[in-house]
Amino acid sequence: MQRAIESVGIPTILIAALPPVVRQSGSPRATAPRVPMGANAGEPHNVEMQHGIVKDTLKQLEILDSPGKIVPLPYEYIAKV
Amino acid sequence: MSLKKYDGLQSEIYVPITPQPVWAPVTKKLKDMKIGIATAAGVHLKSDKRFNLAGDTTYREIPWDTKAEDLMVSHGGYDNSDVNKDINCMFPIDRLRELADEGFIKGLAPTEYGFMGGGGDIEAFTDKTGPEIAKKLKAEDVDAVIMTAG
Repeated sequence: MQRAIESVGIPTILIAALPPVVRQSGSPRATAPRVPMGANAGEPHNVEMQHGIVKDTLKQLEILDSPGKIVPLPYEYIAKV
Repeated sequence: MSLKKYDGLQSEIYVPITPQPVWAPVTKKLKDMKIGIATAAGVHLKSDKRFNLAGDTTYREIPWDTKAEDLMVSHGGYDNSDVNKDINCMFPIDRLRELADEGFIKGLAPTEYGFMGGGGDIEAFTDKTGPEIAKKLKAEDVDAVIMTAG
């Protein structure tokens, strides 16, 4: 999907919970906060964390200059299962 | 030490191939960009048709001004408990609207997209669903797309 959108000339960035999977599937740009799958954009109702993850992810659009990079983000959410 | 070399030697273990890179350059500043959301998390309007959990390559359109409480998830491939508490965990539409209010981005794309990722008919996603969504985003002059998947 990301690749399809990128192919028509629209830059994309993906928030990944599973960076190895994302690398394997050929994502052009991604960030990786330390989150479980299902909360890629951060802990439920943690507005501050979600805001930070989304903002820092978008910032990478202006920073990244070559495909295939996955930028770790300094946010951590450990779900209590 | 010299090593023996064998031409054409291959691993017996299946090694997946990473596809060729794709890259659309960023030409605008964030404050001048209309940002869309595309998520593989199975997000859709509560009033819309649910995804078939056994496999579904269709997608749902979500207007930019949809209230978070009017959205839900149908996806059989991950633990939905966080996203059921707060849709923004996978579909950060409230966060994006705040960033637009701050002036950090220009605004949201008029339409956001939800589909059910995590495998299924990859060929249909690659050949049909992906290009269809991409075409619609292009037609609405979206400058960049933020995604959640994987």
